Amino acid sequence: MSVLLKLIDVAVYVGDRCLLAPISLELTQGQPLTILGKTGSGKSLLAQAIMGLLPTALRVSGEIHVYGKRMTCRERQQLWGRELVMLPQEPWHSLDPIMKCVDQVTEVYQCVKGQNKQDALRSAEEALYQVGLSHIGNKRPDELSGGMAQRLAIAAATAGGATVILADEPTKGLDVSRRDGIVRLLQSRSRFGSLLTITHDVTVARQLGGALLVMKDGHLVEKGETMVVLDSPQDDYTRALIAAEPSVWTDIAPHSQKHDTDDILVVDQLKVARGGRTLFDGLSFSIKQGDVIGVVGDSGCGKSTLGDALLHLVTPLSGRIARLNQAAKPHQWLKLYQDPPSAFSASVSLGQLLDDIIQLHDIDRTRVAPLMAKLSLPNGILERNCLAVSGGELQRFSILRALLLDPVFLFADEPTSRLDPITAKEVTTLLVSLASEAGCAVLLVSHDAALIRKTCHQVISL
Amino acid sequence: MKLTTSQWLGLSLLVGLMAFAVLGSVFTPYTVAQQDLNSVMTPPSLTHWLGTDHFGRSMLSRMAHAVGLSFALSLVCVLTSSLIGTAFGVWAVWGGKKVDNALSVAVNVLLALPGLVVVLLFAAIAPGSFLVLYLAISLVQWVEYFRVVRAITQNVIQSPARQSSQMMGFGRWYQFKRHIWPAISPSVFTLAAFGGANAILTMASLGFVSVGIQPPLAELGLMSVALFPYYSEAPWLLAQPLVVIALLILGFHLLAGKRA
Repeated sequence: MSVLLKLIDVAVYVGDRCLLAPISLELTQGQPLTILGKTGSGKSLLAQAIMGLLPTALRVSGEIHVYGKRMTCRERQQLWGRELVMLPQEPWHSLDPIMKCVDQVTEVYQCVKGQNKQDALRSAEEALYQVGLSHIGNKRPDELSGGMAQRLAIAAATAGGATVILADEPTKGLDVSRRDGIVRLLQSRSRFGSLLTITHDVTVARQLGGALLVMKDGHLVEKGETMVVLDSPQDDYTRALIAAEPSVWTDIAPHSQKHDTDDILVVDQLKVARGGRTLFDGLSFSIKQGDVIGVVGDSGCGKSTLGDALLHLVTPLSGRIARLNQAAKPHQWLKLYQDPPSAFSASVSLGQLLDDIIQLHDIDRTRVAPLMAKLSLPNGILERNCLAVSGGELQRFSILRALLLDPVFLFADEPTSRLDPITAKEVTTLLVSLASEAGCAVLLVSHDAALIRKTCHQVISL
Repeated sequence: MKLTTSQWLGLSLLVGLMAFAVLGSVFTPYTVAQQDLNSVMTPPSLTHWLGTDHFGRSMLSRMAHAVGLSFALSLVCVLTSSLIGTAFGVWAVWGGKKVDNALSVAVNVLLALPGLVVVLLFAAIAPGSFLVLYLAISLVQWVEYFRVVRAITQNVIQSPARQSSQMMGFGRWYQFKRHIWPAISPSVFTLAAFGGANAILTMASLGFVSVGIQPPLAELGLMSVALFPYYSEAPWLLAQPLVVIALLILGFHLLAGKRA
């Protein structure tokens, strides 16, 4: 087994501050390597350092050997596409939005491999066929689903024949079924070379096998064979990461659900369309006070639109949505957003936003402190604005803000999909337990069926 | 709002010119139209710090008044057009399809006409009227604010942040204050700085073609054209209004900064 990529004490600094502590690793042929860790642990920096893609403000120390030869940043850039390739994190941003899919792959064969137009087109069609996309060759990227776009990006990125593939969060935001497909595709693509994957998804690491590095805050925490590390983790952090996988959660759906509670919302024969396409039809269900309802389905099937319709943010084509709880005011039907920073105004501090609400609805100020303690929010975040706070803290803050209004219904639209697993587990648990404590019904939308199974009383499949 | 060094430079330039205008008009012993035909086109001296023009009028008094007039016009024009443009821009997005369509038609009509021609038309109807000049320039300038504000507001209205504020029961004023204004204010300030410069240039251009402010009032464009025949005998006289116009424009453009 030859060593394709070797790192000796590679570290990344900004000024004097160390962002990534010195790390050494070897990538050997046929042995995939996975780096596991949560967002902000320096995983992506490492990949960028290997590629030679770091912004100039950052300094890299240590040695990087490719094919047994020490190479400078510039020499590594010469290998892009042919020997060394990095799959982008968000495929949408790396595909040309106005170019036909097949052309995007054809270009690689033409420009990188130097084939003539006909040969390149034939190769591209062959490549699309291999990743199961032969039917979409004439579409544009915006007509593709997330999984298809990622497969297209992989086809284009590996068309140059690179044998060392770096994949940075290749499965981010994908449904479970799509995720497994991408992992299999990556495995087949790297059969003749090797694969370095960066992920926060323990399942992906398990599927890939090979060797595993666990990183936390720019430091290496644990290292070893993937199966060995995952089955008998030595470090607390690794254990926490593994325990945060929804499939191994204990059931956190609150048991103390009273059966004699009233319905607060009845939906009858609901039909909703978006952009001229009917998303669902004839949907009927009812929500009781304090219920936790899960909504699952593939991306684009209208999970979020259903929640928006219940909150009167989207007008249904036909059917009835009846709010039975007459005592509840409109501001007690609320929504938690997928991307926490986008749900806050960045112009003032979080404390000011909280004051605004307290003033508007005449809320008892003494309720804030205990609730903040329950959500383990440090007092300091009130002085900062939403961009200076981590995603997990911000999502907990939005739960705080919602709970202060005594909601009767909370629509949580993938509230944890942008958070790393450990934080996601915390936030979901807090959301469900605090909401049911307050007698508030929750409609939880997620693409992770395991998460929904563990948290909800009732599941709606779209 | 934090200002950069060049923005500070622009601001102090403008404040300096404003101070010159105010102090000059208050403390000068000569009025704008007071002639002294015994001393025409004198170079700067102790009695006339900036010299006298071809009728022996004090250049200092005239320059101070002209600068003051330019500032006054640009200020009221900027205030009016930014207020109207911003209000209509937000209203177009918030008021629904019908309002948006109606406003867009009006704006497209205005955009189809060259700005200076519209102003010239108004000025020709009532030459020398400060009020008409002000109305005409504001009418032309609010369109820019409208277009920029409308485009930015459209994004903010769609944002989860505003939607969430609305669901929590906040009124429109709050949504404007917290969500829309922070998003549009940098652009509005930049536009306002350029708008101030444009108003001054427009007024000077109208003065130059003699349809703006009428003599004997002092106005920068008017003075340039009146002093133009004497450029070889008394170049320092012609230079004064020209340099001041350049400084005013420079000041506003520096203040506008790099943000677009």
